[in-house]
Amino acid sequence: MLEGLILGTVMLGFFGIIWKRNLMMKIIAMDVMSTGVVAYYVLVSTHSGLFTPILDRTKQHDYADPVPQAVILTAIVIGLSVQSLMLVGVMKLAKDNPTLETDAIERSNTP
Amino acid sequence: MTEISLLWITLPFMVGFLIYLLPQAARYLALAVGIGSTIYSLLPLLSDFTLNLKLLDQFGVTLLVDDLSGYFILTNAVVTIAVILYCWATSKTAFFYTQLILLHGSVNAAFACADLISLYVALEVISVAAFLLIAYSRTNRSIWVGLRYLFISNTAMLFYLIGAVLVYQHSHTFAFTGIQGAPIEAIALIFMALLTKGGIFVSGLWLPLTHSESESPVSALLSGAVVKTGIFPLVRLALMFPEIDPLVRWFGVGTAILGVSYAMFEKDTKRMLAFHTVSQLGFVLAAPEVGGFYALTHGLVKSALFLMAGSLPSRSFKQLKQQPIATPLWIALAIASFSISGFPLLSGFGAKVLTMKNLLPWQVIGMNIAALGTAISFAKFIFLPRGGSEPRLKASFWPPMLVLLGGLVLANVIYYEAYTWANTVKPLLTIALGWGIYYLIIQRVSIKLPRMFEQFEQLIGMMSLVLVGIITFLLRGILV
Repeated sequence: MLEGLILGTVMLGFFGIIWKRNLMMKIIAMDVMSTGVVAYYVLVSTHSGLFTPILDRTKQHDYADPVPQAVILTAIVIGLSVQSLMLVGVMKLAKDNPTLETDAIERSNTP
Repeated sequence: MTEISLLWITLPFMVGFLIYLLPQAARYLALAVGIGSTIYSLLPLLSDFTLNLKLLDQFGVTLLVDDLSGYFILTNAVVTIAVILYCWATSKTAFFYTQLILLHGSVNAAFACADLISLYVALEVISVAAFLLIAYSRTNRSIWVGLRYLFISNTAMLFYLIGAVLVYQHSHTFAFTGIQGAPIEAIALIFMALLTKGGIFVSGLWLPLTHSESESPVSALLSGAVVKTGIFPLVRLALMFPEIDPLVRWFGVGTAILGVSYAMFEKDTKRMLAFHTVSQLGFVLAAPEVGGFYALTHGLVKSALFLMAGSLPSRSFKQLKQQPIATPLWIALAIASFSISGFPLLSGFGAKVLTMKNLLPWQVIGMNIAALGTAISFAKFIFLPRGGSEPRLKASFWPPMLVLLGGLVLANVIYYEAYTWANTVKPLLTIALGWGIYYLIIQRVSIKLPRMFEQFEQLIGMMSLVLVGIITFLLRGILV
């Protein structure tokens, strides 16, 4: 169930990238897609348990797997920097293409 | 040796930021990094040194440097040096050199790592640094081309991440070895991302526009070294797992023919070179055992060709035919074109012979057609009229050519056994036939192949198609 919802989010983001015509919306769609991916990592790490992986010697817990969480933290940071870089690019493009229609930008910038 | 390897991986990143503090020394620092990488890459190639490093159990970073990585690292190092020499006399700012060296470092990292997450980080840093280099001129077009590149590679990498976590779920490690027995969809997702990143087959059709619209030194770097970061893991995986090998070989043949058939009919020099890169990457994949050597010769020759194309008076073959180019430039162009067509005395010959020897029987016809197509495409450069006075080449044009073309001659020693009569005759026949076809047919026809598949949405949509294709292929392997 949860897995299905997460993959649904990823697919929604993916189709958003294809079908949204505005460049800004495409970037937001990509963000939706990456949110789905992050959620998937979190979900996978809960397969072994739900407890925050901070060692508690007094009790025996089913800890969540810390590795996927640590990894996805890296991916979140990278995603953030890529996204901000893209937004800067869009700001520059918006000066001459205020509507940010991808088709129009593509047509005027393809030889 | 471990310390040296770690130092070599981190050095470009430290120097990259140091360049910002010492902008006057930018060129020298960048060049030093390039030379350092060259020396390091010779270690695994000349001795039996291999580095196999595992940090922190099965969860952490895994590094693997062997002679396969050695070839790729050498390619990256030599191409970087040539590009720095080419830009030496231009007014490129410290920012340019910073990005160049960060890109160099992350490409090195991609060639040295042996786990999915380090590879992911390296590939993403490459995207960012490459974007900044593509958009260096800050024109609308360069920003759009860069943005398109960043968008496509980032979307592909999101699929890659899903694949990576599926591998982890199966084998509790991110190391390449964990792919053993991983679910099909995991392999398909990872493959699709790497194929997209590496510019292979239909998912690689973003490459022609990106590589042709960038400035010449940047195109040389992208085509010579950066696309190989997508190819390298594919080659590595094909060598590790026999069940993946046929898939890689199929994509090799497919992209070799697709790329070259576009290249033959292309009327623009830089676009022709870019399409030809798509085709040559197929040669690397078609015979994974010897892919390293092919990647080296292709990197040298393609970056040389892009740098030369930047010095030609025009980009259109039609105009170049009207106005003779300066003879020295023509000679350099001819040497590079001869090497890439597989003419003896240049290492392109050895690489082609070696690849052809390691093909499986069903690949032979396809790859020979691709080789013929290469000869046809490069006849366009060789048959250009010469003897003119334009362009006046700058003094800074020759050092990078010396490095790259000299490298082509030197690399001959790697596979000197290729020089037998039987081996020599076949490429000569291929080239003669290719020139004949060019002279009689291709030169006269004017076919415009559709550019529809290079549109942004098509490229993104193509990813899902490739994904379905790979899954079908892998399922078929299981069912049969």
